Amino acid sequence: MARKLSRRQIALYMAAQLHKGAAPKQVVSQLAAYLVDTRRTSELELIVRDIQFYLSKEGVVLGTVTSAHELNAATLKAIEAFTKERTGAKTVTLDTQVDASLLGGVKLEIPGHELDTTAARKLTILKTRYKKA
Amino acid sequence: MNFLSTFAETAEVEGNVFSALGIDWTLLILQIVGFLLLVVLLGKFVYPWLMKQVDDRQKNIEQAAEVAKQAQASAEKNQAEVEKLLAEARKEAADIVSTAKLEATEMVATSEAKAKSSAEKIVADAQAQISKDIDKARRELHDETLELVALATEKVIQKKLDKKADEALITSLLKEQK
Repeated sequence: MARKLSRRQIALYMAAQLHKGAAPKQVVSQLAAYLVDTRRTSELELIVRDIQFYLSKEGVVLGTVTSAHELNAATLKAIEAFTKERTGAKTVTLDTQVDASLLGGVKLEIPGHELDTTAARKLTILKTRYKKA
Repeated sequence: MNFLSTFAETAEVEGNVFSALGIDWTLLILQIVGFLLLVVLLGKFVYPWLMKQVDDRQKNIEQAAEVAKQAQASAEKNQAEVEKLLAEARKEAADIVSTAKLEATEMVATSEAKAKSSAEKIVADAQAQISKDIDKARRELHDETLELVALATEKVIQKKLDKKADEALITSLLKEQK
């Protein structure tokens, strides 16, 4: 019976494969097969996060941008530039999401960092930080 | 004078004074013997008994007197003791009353002090509670105001911030973060 691999080992392997230029679809298939085979599908979220983290160490940043309205290309480009500047990454790939409850501004999630400049967060801070009761 | 004359005449007639006086020697002697016998009988049987009775009576009287005297002395002594006891009892009663008065005064003073202290504590507690309630009300008002401000801001943003303004805001925020 094969030795059980740690989450870190799996993430490192997958990140290396992606960095080497392996087809993402193939890598994802391998990972899914392994997790199903070893009955560790519940760890998928954590492993993906770890892969993102190790890829970011290699200069490839995968992030998520959430905003109240759909962003145009110029704004996305500005966010990518900002991310590159912040992380020193060579490649930045951003996934976009729309969440009207954020009201305005943008929320950027990248491995190890989170930038939340949304109006919803500012209002939450206003409501919680200055509450006395 | 007439009597003496009669006596002298009779004596001369009979020649004997005793006869003149009507004294019969035999009868006299018998009377004397009878008297002596009576005296002897009385002295032998009656007087000793009588004297004994008298002595006994006297002794009884003396004893009774002595007992009465002792009783009086005892009564006097008892009276003195009773008076002494009464005096002691009165003194003790006076002491008890005095102590009771003192204790009552002290109790009243203590009760007054306790009541005063209790009243002051109640007032202080009430003031503290009022102060706490005021602070709580202020905090709640503050928080409610914050909630209202946040809600109002949210409504305003939802209404005023369109896509274009949002993108401008994002660009501006990114510049600020740099």
